[in-house]
Amino acid sequence: MTTDLLVATAEELFAELCSHQAVQDAERTGWAPAAWSAIAEMGLPWIGVPESAGGQGGTLSEALAVLRVAGRHGLPLPLAETGLLGSWLLASAGLDVPAGPVTVVPVDHGLLYDGRTLTGTATRVPWARSAERVVVLLPADGRFAVASFPTADLRVEPLTNMAGEPRDTVHFAVPVDVVAPTSIDAEQLRLRGALTRVALIAGALERVRDTTVQYTAEREQFGKPLNRFQAIQEHLVHVAQQAALVGAASDVAGRETERGGGAVETACAKSLAAEAVHVSTRAGHQAHGAMGMTQEYSLHQATRRLWSWRREWGDGAFWDRYLGRLVAARGADALYPLIAGGTAALG
Amino acid sequence: MKAGPRFVTTDLRPLELALQSEVRAFLAEELPRGSYRPGLGFMAEADKAFSRKLGARGWLGMALPKAYGGGERSAVERFIVTEELLAWGAPVGHHWVADRQSGSTIAAFGSEAQKQRFLPGICSGELGFSIGMSEPGAGSDLAGLRTTARKVEGGWRLDGTKVWTTGAHRTDWMITLCRSSEESDRRQGMTQFLVDMSSSGLKVNPIPFLDGTADFNEVVLDDVFVPDELVLGEVGRGWSQNTAELAFERGGPDRYLSTYVVVEQWLRETADLDDEALRLLGRLTACWWGLRQLSLASARTIDEGRSPVVEAALVKELGTRFEQDVLEALQHLVDVEPSPQSTSLFERLLCEAILTAPSNTIRGGTVEVLRSVVAKALL
Repeated sequence: MTTDLLVATAEELFAELCSHQAVQDAERTGWAPAAWSAIAEMGLPWIGVPESAGGQGGTLSEALAVLRVAGRHGLPLPLAETGLLGSWLLASAGLDVPAGPVTVVPVDHGLLYDGRTLTGTATRVPWARSAERVVVLLPADGRFAVASFPTADLRVEPLTNMAGEPRDTVHFAVPVDVVAPTSIDAEQLRLRGALTRVALIAGALERVRDTTVQYTAEREQFGKPLNRFQAIQEHLVHVAQQAALVGAASDVAGRETERGGGAVETACAKSLAAEAVHVSTRAGHQAHGAMGMTQEYSLHQATRRLWSWRREWGDGAFWDRYLGRLVAARGADALYPLIAGGTAALG
Repeated sequence: MKAGPRFVTTDLRPLELALQSEVRAFLAEELPRGSYRPGLGFMAEADKAFSRKLGARGWLGMALPKAYGGGERSAVERFIVTEELLAWGAPVGHHWVADRQSGSTIAAFGSEAQKQRFLPGICSGELGFSIGMSEPGAGSDLAGLRTTARKVEGGWRLDGTKVWTTGAHRTDWMITLCRSSEESDRRQGMTQFLVDMSSSGLKVNPIPFLDGTADFNEVVLDDVFVPDELVLGEVGRGWSQNTAELAFERGGPDRYLSTYVVVEQWLRETADLDDEALRLLGRLTACWWGLRQLSLASARTIDEGRSPVVEAALVKELGTRFEQDVLEALQHLVDVEPSPQSTSLFERLLCEAILTAPSNTIRGGTVEVLRSVVAKALL
């Protein structure tokens, strides 16, 4: 399947699965079992995971393209966690990829591994309550290793982010039977996590743009459509700009990650995404007036996700600092080459 | 619903990366750091000798036909040369307008004789051009222009006043938009002329910028004769030709790099960066990187035969506001009262940038005009 066809297929399926009501229901109950079955049947969560490891095959760029569509529709499922993060970690360590949903404990989790048991509390674990397994990246012997646990063995406290997506607190006091070494380190996992949020944000920014363009074309005040007013047109330009900027950034970050680099690009993209959330949600809501503040109108399904996702896997400030250090370590003469060359210019 | 602006990202291919290295090596050789005063984007100094060196390298008129001295090279290659020159703060003032838009306009609409006469000089860095569009009564609403062209034996007589004409005191030629006939539609009846700046009856009066610099001018045309062979394109088609010309000048790296050298110099002069400084540096890096992706995508689109007019307007609107935001962010961070006479080059550049930055979102189409261009694509 070409990327275009894959995106078109995902677009059609996610549009069907993510009606306004379906997303609201999933937020209330914390899970969308029928939607999960539908995407699992098509193998969508495991795109970019090698077939040899039990995945669907395909490239990282394809997986990110599908994830962007999920972001556009607010798909209430652990798509990023199951494939791009969880299965990626498992496969890197030679572990089996399970058939059901998987989640990953974010980095800086503070869990304690003493060589036999894993103890402590991890917060903001996406969809832990519904995942078949929870995957953890652990420091082991000066390197990193992957361990995964059946959710049934853990105590899960259900919490959510501002968009009603499960971000659970997970209490660990479990024996660790298998720790499999991996070449992935904490920084790579963090970059990968950030990349998934960039793709989701890129999609949701498209949603804000399209919704705002449509609403301002239909809604009339003072005898003409809102989009005929210059003041409103400024909002349209801002939502279009931010969608374009983060869309491009997401594409380039994915492309470079696929080529084995991508650190600078992902950091830039996540930084831009954070600012884009601010600009786009402000303009989008302003253009919608009171209508955009109601639960029955769907703008918030995108904007609440944007406000949540920008904070996950490092907000703008985190990645700004990360980039700032890279630049500062290399000095003024290296600044433009870094802007133009990205990770390849790091040497 | 319309699709709106569309950007297909791209990256540099091996030969393009080789060109980038070549330009960097040239700049390091010709303009070693510390040997020159970096300029702020295309407001940089006019240095004809430097422009000639670029011409000799084949880096001016890159997109123009080889038959006229051009390079028949791609928009992406031109993008590469331009971004390196601007990031270096190189003195691009002499050739800037000719290379960016006058050459393309002549190539697109000029007669064979005009192409032979002007394009080689543009490609060699010899000829400098000005833009004669704005008038006292016609700014963003260019259709209000009143400079007239009256048909006479063997040519035309031009009368009127052009303003905000950058470099008119030093350039050789000006592409001038005039009203050649009165039509009910204000956008009809306009014609473009190639006007010799040494013409009798043409007077250049400086309009000093608010910082005292004098690159800005008023050009008074008092019964200036222009021979028929210097009518550019078709009589009466000036408006559409001019609109195409404006599209040439939007969306390039000059629309987000004008204040870049200020930050680079700040970094050079600052020994220890605290957390706030690191975050700012990171944020600015991300913004330049992102704008570059959009601008580069537009260049590639041109090479694929499309005309990204809306995309260019979107980039310019975003990029020129960012150029100003850069200065504001720096001033929040750096506790100095910048002096134009400071021994710190950073401070001097900061002063210059603060005093000129308001023009970034005005020149070549105000952000308000650009917004209407982008918004129309979304309606």
